[in-house]
Amino acid sequence: MPNQNRGQFDFKKLPKYIWVIPALMCIINPSFIFIFFVVFLSFIKRKKDFMSLLNKTSSVSPSLNLSLPETAFMRVASPVPSTLRTTNNFVNALSGLSTLFVAPSVNRQLKKNKKYLQVALNGSLNESLNVLRGLPTSEKIIIEAGTPLIKSEGIGVIRRLQYAMPGSYIVADMKTADLGEQEVAMCAQAGASAVVCLGVAPIEVIGGFIAACEKYNVEAMLDMMNVPSAILVLKKLKKMPRVVILHRGVDETESNKEKQIPFYEIKQVKGTSNCLVSVAGGDTAREVQSAIFNDADIVVVWKDFYTSNTTTDKIVTGFLKEIR
Amino acid sequence: MILNKKQKHLQIAFNRSLYEVDDMILRLPASERIIVEAGTPFIKQNGERGIRSLVNNWSRRIGAGAYVVADMKCMDRGSTEVSIAKSAGASAVTCLGLAPTETINDFIADCTKYNIDSMVDMLNVKFPFEVLAKLKKQPDIVVLHRGADETLAEIPFHEINRIKGAYNSVISVAGGESPTDIRRAFFNGADIAVVWRSFNENPDQVEALAEEFLLSIKAYAKSIKN
Repeated sequence: MPNQNRGQFDFKKLPKYIWVIPALMCIINPSFIFIFFVVFLSFIKRKKDFMSLLNKTSSVSPSLNLSLPETAFMRVASPVPSTLRTTNNFVNALSGLSTLFVAPSVNRQLKKNKKYLQVALNGSLNESLNVLRGLPTSEKIIIEAGTPLIKSEGIGVIRRLQYAMPGSYIVADMKTADLGEQEVAMCAQAGASAVVCLGVAPIEVIGGFIAACEKYNVEAMLDMMNVPSAILVLKKLKKMPRVVILHRGVDETESNKEKQIPFYEIKQVKGTSNCLVSVAGGDTAREVQSAIFNDADIVVVWKDFYTSNTTTDKIVTGFLKEIR
Repeated sequence: MILNKKQKHLQIAFNRSLYEVDDMILRLPASERIIVEAGTPFIKQNGERGIRSLVNNWSRRIGAGAYVVADMKCMDRGSTEVSIAKSAGASAVTCLGLAPTETINDFIADCTKYNIDSMVDMLNVKFPFEVLAKLKKQPDIVVLHRGADETLAEIPFHEINRIKGAYNSVISVAGGESPTDIRRAFFNGADIAVVWRSFNENPDQVEALAEEFLLSIKAYAKSIKN
């Protein structure tokens, strides 16, 4: 099941005096003491991971490696002693128990009428993890595993991002052009929430891709890069994707000054279908603003997040202010 | 260009898991006519590490002439993806013909810089000729492609001689799956024929399948008879 590990325990959501409740329960019935002791143990183990997220200076915390869950599909790069793995599974199970007390903060689906900021990670894995540590927590932030990142590290990278930012919505930018179902299955297995297909791909591929997305319970995104007219592609489809990405490529942006992001297509797409619209290719705060002004739901940024630096936090809050 | 232009080649794409593919490659017949391709799903699954293990295994099997294609299907950021393939040790990289012209140009320029063969994949491109005409520099290899999910489309055999007449590129044909299709491709002037499905479905019979496909290359069949 792809969404087995989604119910991560989010400490940031806990009220400050939550410990009063178990204490009261223990006073009423002393047999609760044992149960809470076990839960407390799991709390300590998870807290280590939590602290490593807070600790922005360290590159990759060792606990990140240990807590990667094993799936049939991926192979963990560093071998972990089996004893550690089993204790870790035990702890994972316990933290699953703890979700009985606190509702899991799982961001599985995008909501309409909400604006999102999508941060694309395209550097190396370590850089990306560092960038993640610099991000503020917000439900408005979507994380994208960029194509170069996936192609150089493999799909297992999604699990790592997921663990560095528990409960977040992660987009796998696969840029599928062929063999849609196989690639969707791969992403779902790795724990992605959405997968990207190319709009220039053959119509059969896009159709198969969207069907596969429904089957594996992930959201389909259609990347309209280098497509002359997005609605013409959408009209040929039987089922609409969840998100349409209007995209100006990086190489185009760099070597062709004339090419504009097609903001006028946002209204066209929204008028003909029920899709959300995402805009990629603009990087300045001004372009983010004009995308939102033109009614885009998601804005993709990458350039400032290529490598982490101390200002990442500031930039994101700046962007979030733009999208409100 | 690394590829031997005068020979016809059989390109085999691998899309199964890393363990299986490692095993399959070590069992392939050791012929220089075979090109090993790391398929797109394979690369996305295993990353650079996957390509590197393909390169290692195939060169262990046939020595210095090992030719491995990384089917990156590059759509954007041409230079990054070429450098990934180069650092993994691949001999050729693919780019989509559907990509923006700027990307393909960047891609080909980087390929010549790093000394890798550039392949432009004409998947879902109606008129490959138009795409090629817009480029600053021609790619080393042009791939005429019918997608695996496209059932109705035909393989554009007629384009082969058209492109060969105008440019100096090597032509590769992908999308045919039976030995008859391969023979047809070679008969129409293709230099490389790509197969994958039968290998993907029967990983146990790699040797026999590869032999069967290789026999559809006439020169190979002759050399075997002698």
